[in-house]
Amino acid sequence: MKREFTIALAGNPNCGKTCIFNALTGARQHVGNYPGVTVESKSGRFVLNGMEIRLIDLPGVYSLSSNSPEEEVVFRELTRPGIDLILNVIDSTIPQRSLYLTTQLAELHIPMLLAFNMSDDAAKKGLKFDIPKLERYFGSPIVRTVGCRAGGVQALLEKLAGMLTEPDRHGVPMLSYGADIDEAVSAVAAKIDTLDIVGYNHVPSRFFAIKLLEHDRSAWHIDAFRPILGEVEAQIKHLLDRHAIETDTFMADRRYAMLAGACRDAITTTRERRREISDRIDVVMTNKYIGLPLFFLIIYLTFWFTFTLADPLMGYIEDGFAWLSDLVKGSWPEATLPYLRSLLTDGVIGGVGGVLVFLPNILFLFFAIAILEDSGYMARAAFVMDGVMRRFGLQGRSFVPLVLGFGCTVPAIMATRCIESERDRKTTIMILPLMSCGARLPIYALIIPAFFIAQYQALVMWLIYLIGVVVALIAARILKSTLFKGDGEIYLMELPPYRMPTLRSLLLHMWDRGRMYVQKAGTIILATSMILYICNTWPEKTVFDKDYDAGIARLENDKRLTPLQIGALERSGLVSGEVLAEVKATGTLPDELLDELRKEELPSVLCSAVEVAQERNEAIAELENERQSELMEYTISGRVGHMLEPFFRPIGFDWKLTTATIGALAAKEVFVSQLGILYAAGEADEESVPLRQQLIQNYTPLQAFCIMLFCLLSIPCLATLAIIRRELNSWTMPLYEAGGLFLLAYLTTMIVYQAGSLLRIGTKLIG
Amino acid sequence: MSKVRKCSCGCGTMPASSRNYRVGNRAMTLADLPVGTAGTIIKVLPGWRGRKKFADVGLVEGAELLMEAHAPFGGLLRVKVLETSVAMHRDDAAHVMMKRGETTE
Repeated sequence: MKREFTIALAGNPNCGKTCIFNALTGARQHVGNYPGVTVESKSGRFVLNGMEIRLIDLPGVYSLSSNSPEEEVVFRELTRPGIDLILNVIDSTIPQRSLYLTTQLAELHIPMLLAFNMSDDAAKKGLKFDIPKLERYFGSPIVRTVGCRAGGVQALLEKLAGMLTEPDRHGVPMLSYGADIDEAVSAVAAKIDTLDIVGYNHVPSRFFAIKLLEHDRSAWHIDAFRPILGEVEAQIKHLLDRHAIETDTFMADRRYAMLAGACRDAITTTRERRREISDRIDVVMTNKYIGLPLFFLIIYLTFWFTFTLADPLMGYIEDGFAWLSDLVKGSWPEATLPYLRSLLTDGVIGGVGGVLVFLPNILFLFFAIAILEDSGYMARAAFVMDGVMRRFGLQGRSFVPLVLGFGCTVPAIMATRCIESERDRKTTIMILPLMSCGARLPIYALIIPAFFIAQYQALVMWLIYLIGVVVALIAARILKSTLFKGDGEIYLMELPPYRMPTLRSLLLHMWDRGRMYVQKAGTIILATSMILYICNTWPEKTVFDKDYDAGIARLENDKRLTPLQIGALERSGLVSGEVLAEVKATGTLPDELLDELRKEELPSVLCSAVEVAQERNEAIAELENERQSELMEYTISGRVGHMLEPFFRPIGFDWKLTTATIGALAAKEVFVSQLGILYAAGEADEESVPLRQQLIQNYTPLQAFCIMLFCLLSIPCLATLAIIRRELNSWTMPLYEAGGLFLLAYLTTMIVYQAGSLLRIGTKLIG
Repeated sequence: MSKVRKCSCGCGTMPASSRNYRVGNRAMTLADLPVGTAGTIIKVLPGWRGRKKFADVGLVEGAELLMEAHAPFGGLLRVKVLETSVAMHRDDAAHVMMKRGETTE
C-alpha cells in the first residue's frame, strides 16, 4: 500500500486556508518561491496514521484562470502529475462565492475533499447546510472545520485518513454548460485525445477543452496544444456567430448559475450577523472623509505601541551582550591570543548584539501588523490610500510595505507579496530602500543632538524622513513611466469581513518574521561584521611615526606635584585621608579628584597644579587619539578610505567617513560603531558623548547633514540587496538598485554640500 | 459630457456647467452608480481585457450588486456582489453597463 501522499490545499483568499495549513503541519513548513515568478510557495509535512503526507499550500485564488501570477501557479501545480488529493477550503459563510473555484477543481477529476471552514461563523449567521445534497452536487465528501480553533480540524483528519486508505470510488458529476457548448467541448476534447500528450495524460481532456474554449491564457500557452488551436478558434467563432455565446464569460456565467441553483436547493439562511456588524464598522473606517485620518491614527498607534513596548527590552539585550563580552574577557587572559580575543568580544559579540538589539522592535512591529492584517483592516487601509498612492504610480497595497520600510527594509520587501500586479510590486521594491529604516536611526540619533539645538532636532529628523519619502515617490513615478511601463493588471481586491485575530496566528506570524531577522543577523551580519572587524584592525602598525609612549610618559611626569603643593592640599582639608594617601603614593592628582577640585576655591599653589594637570591630561588624550588613528590609517579600511577620499571629497567626506560608509554596507547601524573605532572614542553607540564631542570638533553642521543625507539615500545594506535578488529572482535588479541609489545619493549630497558651501550655510565648526 | 441647455423655467439663464443632468433611462455604468444604490449588470463591454477577471468574481450579466462606498481622492469603488465586498478602479467599472435597482435606506 502507498505510504506517501501529496495533497494540494486550494481555496479563495481569506477563506482561512492558512489556518488549516498551520493546524495540520504545525511548525514543519518550508517556504520558497515558485520558479520564474514572485509567488510564494509553501509546503509542509505531517504524518497521519503512519502515512507520510506532503501538503502544498497553493496561493489563494478565486478561479482557475490566468488572471494573475497566482492563478497561473495554481493552474500549473494542479495540472502536474502526482497530486493524490485536493483539499478545497471553503469559507462557508459565503458558500456561493467560495464554491466557484470548486466547480473548476471538480473538472480535474482528482479526488477532492471539501472543508467547509468557519462553520461556527456560518452557524452564527444562520446558514444551514444540507450536507448529503451538497456532496452529491460536487461529487466530493464535505467536512466542517474551524481552522483557527484547536481541535477544529479533527473531523478533517478522520475523513482524510479514510479517503487516502479507501480506494477512490467517488463519482464526479459533470457540470453541463448547455447543449450548444457541450457539443463544442466534446469536439475539442476529441481533438485533444488524438494528440495524446504524455505530460497531461492524467488530466481529463474535457478540462483542457473548456479552458481552451474560455480562451484561458495558461492553457493556450501549452505548446502541445498548438496543433489544435485553429480548431478551437473555429469553435469559439461558431458559438459566437450561431448562438451569440461569448465563451470567455459564458462559462463563468453558467458556473454561477449552477451554484445559485445548488445553494438555493441545499442551503437555507435565516439571518445575517457578522457581515452586518462588519459593514457598520466600515461605514466609519472607509468613510470618504474620516477614513484617511483614522488610517493615519491607526498607523501612528501601531508605531507608538511598537516603540514603547520594545524600548525597555532593547536595554536588557544591550546589557546582556555587554555582560557576555565582559564574561569572555574575564575568563580569557589578555596575554593569550590577544587578537582573537578582541575579535570575539568586540567583533562577533558586539556585531551580533548590535543587530539583535532591534529584535524587540521587529517582533512588536510585526505583531501589530499581524493584528491589522488578520483583523481585515489592512485591506481597508489599501482601499482608502489607493487614491493618494495612484498619483505616484503606486497602488493602495503598496502603502503597507512602504510603512514597514520605516522598520526594516527586509521584511518590508517580503510584505510586497500582497501586491498582485507585478509592475507595481517591482516599483515598490525598488523604492523601498529609500524609506529610512530603523537601522539608520542610530546615525541620526548620534548626529542630530550633536549638531542641532534642541528645538530644531525633531524638525531635522522629520526633514530627513520626509526627504526619503519624497525622493521615493518621485522615483516611483519615474520608474513607472520608464522601466516598468505598460498596462497594469485589472485591479480587484476583496475586503474580507472584520474578524477577531487569534493569538495563535499572531504569535506564529511574529515568530516567522523574528526568525527571518535573526537568521539574517546570524549569517550575513555576523560574517560581515567579522570581516569588517579584521579590516579595521589588520594589519597592526608596530612602528609609529612618533614615540607616543615616551611623549605620554613625559607628560605624566609633568603632572607630578611638588611637596609644597601636597602640603597645600593637605592643609586645604578638601580631600579625605584615604585619597590623600593615594596622592602621596603616586605623586599625581587622580582624574576624579581633578574634576572635584576644579569646582572649589583653591589656594594659588594648588590652582596652578590643577591647571597643569588638566592641560597635560588633554595633551595625553590627544596623543592617544593620534596613535589610534595612525593605527587605523594603517589597516585595510584606513587604506581603502584614504584611497577613495578624493572621490568622496566633493560631498564633504573625509577618509574616516568614507571608511564608515563602506562599513555601513554590512548594516546601516555599523556606520556609528565604525566611526567610534575611527575616532577611538571607545565602544560607540548613538548615545556616545565622547564620539559626539569628536564629531563637532571635526565636522561642520553642513557636513553632518550631508552624512545623514548620504546614509539615507545610498546603497542599502547587503541583506536588503540579497532579499531583492531573492524576491525578484534576478541578479541584475539588485545591481541596478545599488548602482542607481549610489548615483542618486552621490549627486544629491554633492549638490547640497556644494550649494551649502557656496552660500556658507552651516560651514562653521561649532565644537 | 453635460449638455448645456436653456433653463427650463424660461428665464433664459444657463445652468452651471458643473451640473450634470441625466434624464430617462440613459445607459449607466457601474462607475456612475451612486453610493447606497443597488443595480443589475446588463452587460460587460466585449473586448475589454478585464472581462474574464470580473466574471470570475461574479460580475457577470444579470448579477445584482450594491455600491457600498467611494474611497477618498477619486480612488477605488467598493461594490458588494455575492455577499462579498470588492474594491475596483473607477476606470474599470466604466466598462460595466448597469440598470439601476431600488435604493436602500
